Amino acid sequence: MELNLAAMLDMAFQLLTFFILTFRPAPVEGQIALRMPPAQPISPVQSTVQAGNNPANNDPLQGLNSLVISIVPNAAGGIGSMAIGEGAVATLGGLNDRLKSVLGDQASPFDQVVIQVGSGLRYDALMGVVDVCTRQKLPSGQKLTKLSFVELPDAQTP
Amino acid sequence: MSGSLYHEASAQPNLTPMLDMVFQLVTFFMLVINFKSAQLDMNLKLPVIGSARPVDTKGQQDLLILNINNQGQLTVYNAPRDIDSYIAGEAQSSLLAARLKNPSLQPGDELPTTVVIRADRATPFHLLNRVIRSCQEHGFRHFSLKAMNQQAAGET
Repeated sequence: MELNLAAMLDMAFQLLTFFILTFRPAPVEGQIALRMPPAQPISPVQSTVQAGNNPANNDPLQGLNSLVISIVPNAAGGIGSMAIGEGAVATLGGLNDRLKSVLGDQASPFDQVVIQVGSGLRYDALMGVVDVCTRQKLPSGQKLTKLSFVELPDAQTP
Repeated sequence: MSGSLYHEASAQPNLTPMLDMVFQLVTFFMLVINFKSAQLDMNLKLPVIGSARPVDTKGQQDLLILNINNQGQLTVYNAPRDIDSYIAGEAQSSLLAARLKNPSLQPGDELPTTVVIRADRATPFHLLNRVIRSCQEHGFRHFSLKAMNQQAAGET
Protein backbone atom coordinates (compact mmCIF):
# COMPACT_ATOMS: atom_id res chain seq x y z
CA MET A 1 0.00 0.00 0.00
CA GLU A 2 1.40 3.40 -0.98
CA LEU A 3 0.54 6.65 0.72
CA ASN A 4 -0.40 9.55 -1.48
CA LEU A 5 2.32 12.06 -0.69
CA ALA A 6 1.13 14.75 -3.08
CA ALA A 7 -1.09 16.47 -0.48
CA MET A 8 1.67 16.49 2.10
CA LEU A 9 4.09 17.85 -0.49
CA ASP A 10 1.64 20.61 -1.36
CA MET A 11 1.41 21.62 2.27
CA ALA A 12 5.17 21.45 2.73
CA PHE A 13 5.70 23.65 -0.31
CA GLN A 14 3.22 26.17 1.04
CA LEU A 15 5.07 26.28 4.34
CA LEU A 16 8.35 26.63 2.50
CA THR A 17 6.96 29.48 0.40
CA PHE A 18 5.75 31.24 3.54
CA PHE A 19 9.13 31.00 5.23
CA ILE A 20 11.01 32.09 2.12
CA LEU A 21 8.79 35.12 1.63
CA THR A 22 8.90 36.19 5.27
CA PHE A 23 12.62 35.50 5.72
CA ARG A 24 14.37 38.74 6.46
CA PRO A 25 17.72 38.21 8.11
CA ALA A 26 18.43 40.89 10.69
CA PRO A 27 21.62 42.82 9.92
CA VAL A 28 24.43 42.44 12.40
CA GLU A 29 24.25 45.44 14.68
CA GLY A 30 26.97 46.64 16.95
CA GLN A 31 26.64 48.57 20.14
CA ILE A 32 28.47 50.91 22.42
CA ALA A 33 27.77 50.15 26.06
CA LEU A 34 27.70 53.13 28.37
CA ARG A 35 26.94 53.85 31.97
CA MET A 36 25.13 57.15 31.97
CA PRO A 37 24.23 58.59 35.35
CA PRO A 38 21.76 61.49 35.45
CA ALA A 39 23.12 64.91 34.64
CA GLN A 40 25.11 66.38 37.52
CA PRO A 41 26.99 69.61 38.00
CA ILE A 42 30.08 69.49 35.82
CA SER A 43 33.35 68.61 37.53
CA PRO A 44 32.02 67.63 40.96
CA VAL A 45 34.55 67.72 43.73
CA GLN A 46 35.51 64.29 45.02
CA SER A 47 34.49 63.89 48.61
CA THR A 48 37.89 62.54 49.67
CA VAL A 49 39.81 65.51 48.31
CA GLN A 50 39.90 68.84 50.04
CA ALA A 51 40.76 70.80 46.93
CA GLY A 52 40.43 74.26 48.40
CA ASN A 53 41.65 73.64 51.92
CA ASN A 54 44.56 71.33 51.34
CA PRO A 55 47.82 73.29 51.34
CA ALA A 56 49.66 70.29 49.93
CA ASN A 57 47.49 70.35 46.84
CA ASN A 58 49.35 72.26 44.15
CA ASP A 59 47.41 70.69 41.32
CA PRO A 60 44.52 72.91 40.31
CA LEU A 61 42.85 69.93 38.61
CA GLN A 62 42.87 67.75 41.69
CA GLY A 63 39.37 67.09 42.90
CA LEU A 64 37.86 67.51 39.46
CA ASN A 65 37.00 64.28 37.74
CA SER A 66 34.94 65.21 34.70
CA LEU A 67 36.52 66.03 31.41
CA VAL A 68 34.30 68.31 29.38
CA ILE A 69 33.99 68.04 25.61
CA SER A 70 31.90 70.66 23.86
CA ILE A 71 30.44 70.13 20.41
CA VAL A 72 28.75 72.88 18.47
CA PRO A 73 26.85 71.68 15.41
CA ASN A 74 26.89 73.29 12.00
CA ALA A 75 23.77 74.08 9.99
CA ALA A 76 23.63 70.56 8.54
CA GLY A 77 23.72 68.92 11.96
CA GLY A 78 27.33 67.82 11.61
CA ILE A 79 30.18 68.82 13.86
CA GLY A 80 30.85 72.53 13.49
CA SER A 81 33.47 72.89 16.19
CA MET A 82 34.77 70.87 19.09
CA ALA A 83 36.72 71.67 22.20
CA ILE A 84 38.16 69.80 25.15
CA GLY A 85 37.87 72.19 28.02
CA GLU A 86 38.99 75.43 26.45
CA GLY A 87 41.22 73.85 23.81
CA ALA A 88 39.68 73.57 20.36
CA VAL A 89 40.17 70.43 18.30
CA ALA A 90 39.47 70.36 14.59
CA THR A 91 38.85 66.69 13.81
CA LEU A 92 37.91 63.43 15.46
CA GLY A 93 41.51 62.32 14.98
CA GLY A 94 42.67 65.40 16.87
CA LEU A 95 40.11 64.67 19.59
CA ASN A 96 41.41 61.13 19.87
CA ASP A 97 45.03 62.31 20.20
CA ARG A 98 44.14 64.92 22.77
CA LEU A 99 42.06 62.49 24.84
CA LYS A 100 44.86 59.94 24.71
CA SER A 101 47.35 62.44 26.04
CA VAL A 102 45.00 63.70 28.77
CA LEU A 103 43.65 60.35 29.95
CA GLY A 104 46.91 58.47 29.39
CA ASP A 105 48.67 60.59 31.96
CA GLN A 106 49.01 58.56 35.16
CA ALA A 107 48.25 61.69 37.17
CA SER A 108 45.06 62.32 35.26
CA PRO A 109 42.18 62.93 37.69
CA PHE A 110 39.48 62.29 35.10
CA ASP A 111 37.32 59.19 35.21
CA GLN A 112 34.33 60.39 33.25
CA VAL A 113 33.55 62.58 30.29
CA VAL A 114 30.76 65.10 30.02
CA ILE A 115 29.82 65.85 26.44
CA GLN A 116 28.12 69.20 25.98
CA VAL A 117 26.16 68.96 22.78
CA GLY A 118 24.34 71.55 20.71
CA SER A 119 20.69 70.60 20.34
CA GLY A 120 20.83 70.28 16.54
CA LEU A 121 23.69 67.79 16.36
CA ARG A 122 22.76 64.66 14.44
CA TYR A 123 22.97 61.30 16.16
CA ASP A 124 25.57 59.94 13.74
CA ALA A 125 27.89 62.89 14.41
CA LEU A 126 27.44 62.41 18.14
CA MET A 127 28.19 58.72 17.85
CA GLY A 128 31.47 59.57 16.15
CA VAL A 129 32.51 61.47 19.27
CA VAL A 130 31.16 58.78 21.61
CA ASP A 131 33.11 56.21 19.61
CA VAL A 132 36.34 58.14 20.11
CA CYS A 133 35.63 58.52 23.84
CA THR A 134 34.83 54.87 24.47
CA ARG A 135 38.07 53.82 22.80
CA GLN A 136 40.05 55.61 25.49
CA LYS A 137 41.56 53.90 28.49
CA LEU A 138 41.81 55.39 31.94
CA PRO A 139 45.11 55.36 33.86
CA SER A 140 43.70 52.39 35.81
CA GLY A 141 43.63 50.41 32.55
CA GLN A 142 39.85 50.29 32.43
CA LYS A 143 37.99 51.51 29.41
CA LEU A 144 36.19 54.80 29.67
CA THR A 145 32.48 54.01 29.88
CA LYS A 146 31.15 56.79 32.10
CA LEU A 147 29.71 59.43 29.85
CA SER A 148 27.10 62.09 30.38
CA PHE A 149 25.36 64.29 27.88
CA VAL A 150 24.47 67.89 28.54
CA GLU A 151 22.41 69.85 26.05
CA LEU A 152 23.83 73.25 25.25
CA PRO A 153 21.29 76.06 25.23
CA ASP A 154 20.24 77.23 21.78
CA ALA A 155 21.97 80.57 22.30
CA GLN A 156 25.30 78.76 22.21
CA THR A 157 24.54 76.97 18.98
CA PRO A 158 24.24 78.57 15.55
CA MET B 1 4.09 -8.88 -24.53
CA SER B 2 3.30 -5.24 -25.13
CA GLY B 3 0.33 -5.56 -22.79
CA SER B 4 2.54 -6.64 -19.89
CA LEU B 5 4.90 -3.71 -20.54
CA TYR B 6 1.98 -1.32 -20.38
CA HIS B 7 0.91 -2.64 -16.99
CA GLU B 8 4.42 -2.52 -15.44
CA ALA B 9 5.17 1.12 -16.32
CA SER B 10 4.30 3.50 -13.45
CA ALA B 11 3.28 7.12 -14.08
CA GLN B 12 3.65 8.09 -10.42
CA PRO B 13 6.99 9.66 -9.54
CA ASN B 14 8.53 8.83 -6.20
CA LEU B 15 7.85 11.97 -4.16
CA THR B 16 9.59 10.84 -1.00
CA PRO B 17 13.04 12.40 -1.69
CA MET B 18 11.42 15.67 -2.72
CA LEU B 19 9.31 15.67 0.42
CA ASP B 20 12.41 15.00 2.49
CA MET B 21 14.21 17.90 0.92
CA VAL B 22 11.27 20.28 1.34
CA PHE B 23 10.89 19.35 5.00
CA GLN B 24 14.58 19.96 5.54
CA LEU B 25 14.22 23.41 3.99
CA VAL B 26 11.14 24.12 6.12
CA THR B 27 13.04 23.03 9.22
CA PHE B 28 15.94 25.31 8.30
CA PHE B 29 13.72 28.36 7.89
CA MET B 30 11.84 27.56 11.09
CA LEU B 31 15.10 27.43 12.99
CA VAL B 32 16.58 30.63 11.60
CA ILE B 33 13.44 32.73 11.86
CA ASN B 34 13.99 35.33 14.54
CA PHE B 35 10.88 36.64 16.21
CA LYS B 36 12.96 38.99 18.33
CA SER B 37 13.64 41.08 15.26
CA ALA B 38 9.98 42.10 15.33
CA GLN B 39 10.97 44.45 18.15
CA LEU B 40 13.41 46.19 15.86
CA ASP B 41 12.30 48.91 13.51
CA MET B 42 14.13 47.97 10.34
CA ASN B 43 13.26 51.27 8.68
CA LEU B 44 15.73 53.10 10.90
CA LYS B 45 19.10 53.93 9.43
CA LEU B 46 21.56 53.43 12.24
CA PRO B 47 24.82 55.37 12.34
CA VAL B 48 27.92 53.59 11.11
CA ILE B 49 30.69 53.24 13.68
CA GLY B 50 33.77 51.17 12.98
CA SER B 51 34.30 50.02 16.53
CA ALA B 52 30.70 48.97 17.19
CA ARG B 53 30.68 45.35 18.23
CA PRO B 54 27.86 42.79 18.00
CA VAL B 55 25.69 42.52 21.09
CA ASP B 56 27.00 40.38 23.92
CA THR B 57 24.39 40.35 26.66
CA LYS B 58 26.60 38.19 28.92
CA GLY B 59 23.57 36.33 30.13
CA GLN B 60 21.61 39.47 30.82
CA GLN B 61 18.33 39.13 29.02
CA ASP B 62 16.64 42.17 30.53
CA LEU B 63 16.76 44.68 27.72
CA LEU B 64 14.50 47.60 26.93
CA ILE B 65 14.69 48.31 23.21
CA LEU B 66 13.76 51.81 22.13
CA ASN B 67 13.42 52.62 18.43
CA ILE B 68 13.59 56.34 17.81
CA ASN B 69 13.02 57.76 14.37
CA ASN B 70 14.44 61.01 13.02
CA GLN B 71 11.36 62.89 14.26
CA GLY B 72 12.11 61.75 17.79
CA GLN B 73 9.11 59.38 17.86
CA LEU B 74 9.36 56.22 19.89
CA THR B 75 8.05 53.15 18.09
CA VAL B 76 7.37 49.80 19.71
CA TYR B 77 6.51 46.92 17.39
CA ASN B 78 6.16 49.58 14.67
CA ALA B 79 3.48 51.46 16.62
CA PRO B 80 4.24 54.98 17.88
CA ARG B 81 4.12 55.32 21.66
CA ASP B 82 4.25 58.19 24.10
CA ILE B 83 7.81 58.36 25.39
CA ASP B 84 7.28 59.23 29.03
CA SER B 85 4.35 56.92 29.72
CA TYR B 86 5.98 53.99 27.94
CA ILE B 87 9.29 54.38 29.79
CA ALA B 88 7.46 54.84 33.10
CA GLY B 89 5.56 51.61 32.50
CA GLU B 90 8.71 49.72 31.56
CA ALA B 91 10.51 51.11 34.60
CA GLN B 92 7.69 49.87 36.81
CA SER B 93 7.91 46.40 35.26
CA SER B 94 11.68 46.38 35.62
CA LEU B 95 11.41 47.49 39.25
CA LEU B 96 8.95 44.72 40.07
CA ALA B 97 11.19 42.15 38.42
CA ALA B 98 14.28 43.50 40.17
CA ARG B 99 12.53 43.42 43.55
CA LEU B 100 12.39 39.65 43.31
CA LYS B 101 16.16 39.68 43.77
CA ASN B 102 16.49 42.85 45.81
CA PRO B 103 13.31 43.61 47.81
CA SER B 104 14.74 46.88 49.19
CA LEU B 105 14.75 48.52 45.77
CA GLN B 106 12.75 51.74 45.68
CA PRO B 107 11.34 53.76 42.77
CA GLY B 108 14.11 55.90 41.34
CA ASP B 109 16.87 53.48 42.38
CA GLU B 110 19.21 52.15 39.75
CA LEU B 111 17.51 49.48 37.66
CA PRO B 112 19.40 46.48 36.25
CA THR B 113 17.74 46.74 32.83
CA THR B 114 19.87 47.90 29.93
CA VAL B 115 18.23 50.43 27.66
CA VAL B 116 19.05 49.68 24.04
CA ILE B 117 18.72 52.83 21.97
CA ARG B 118 18.22 52.33 18.26
CA ALA B 119 18.01 55.85 16.90
CA ASP B 120 18.02 57.00 13.32
CA ARG B 121 21.29 58.58 12.30
CA ALA B 122 19.54 61.85 11.44
CA THR B 123 17.88 62.24 14.85
CA PRO B 124 18.76 65.64 16.37
CA PHE B 125 20.37 65.48 19.78
CA HIS B 126 17.64 67.35 21.64
CA LEU B 127 15.07 64.72 20.64
CA LEU B 128 17.36 61.88 21.60
CA ASN B 129 18.32 63.56 24.84
CA ARG B 130 14.67 63.78 25.82
CA VAL B 131 14.43 59.99 25.70
CA ILE B 132 17.71 59.52 27.57
CA ARG B 133 16.67 61.97 30.29
CA SER B 134 13.33 60.25 30.69
CA CYS B 135 15.11 56.91 31.11
CA GLN B 136 17.49 58.38 33.67
CA GLU B 137 14.65 59.95 35.64
CA HIS B 138 13.04 56.53 35.92
CA GLY B 139 16.18 54.82 37.21
CA PHE B 140 17.80 53.42 34.08
CA ARG B 141 21.58 53.84 34.12
CA HIS B 142 22.88 51.23 31.69
CA PHE B 143 22.60 52.19 28.06
CA SER B 144 23.60 50.58 24.86
CA LEU B 145 23.74 52.74 21.75
CA LYS B 146 23.21 50.71 18.61
CA ALA B 147 25.16 51.27 15.42
CA MET B 148 26.17 49.38 12.34
CA ASN B 149 29.82 48.56 11.95
CA GLN B 150 29.62 48.77 8.21
CA GLN B 151 27.39 50.49 5.70
CA ALA B 152 24.45 48.35 4.63
CA ALA B 153 24.34 47.45 0.95
CA GLY B 154 22.60 50.07 -1.16
CA GLU B 155 22.91 52.82 1.45
CA THR B 156 24.70 56.05 0.87
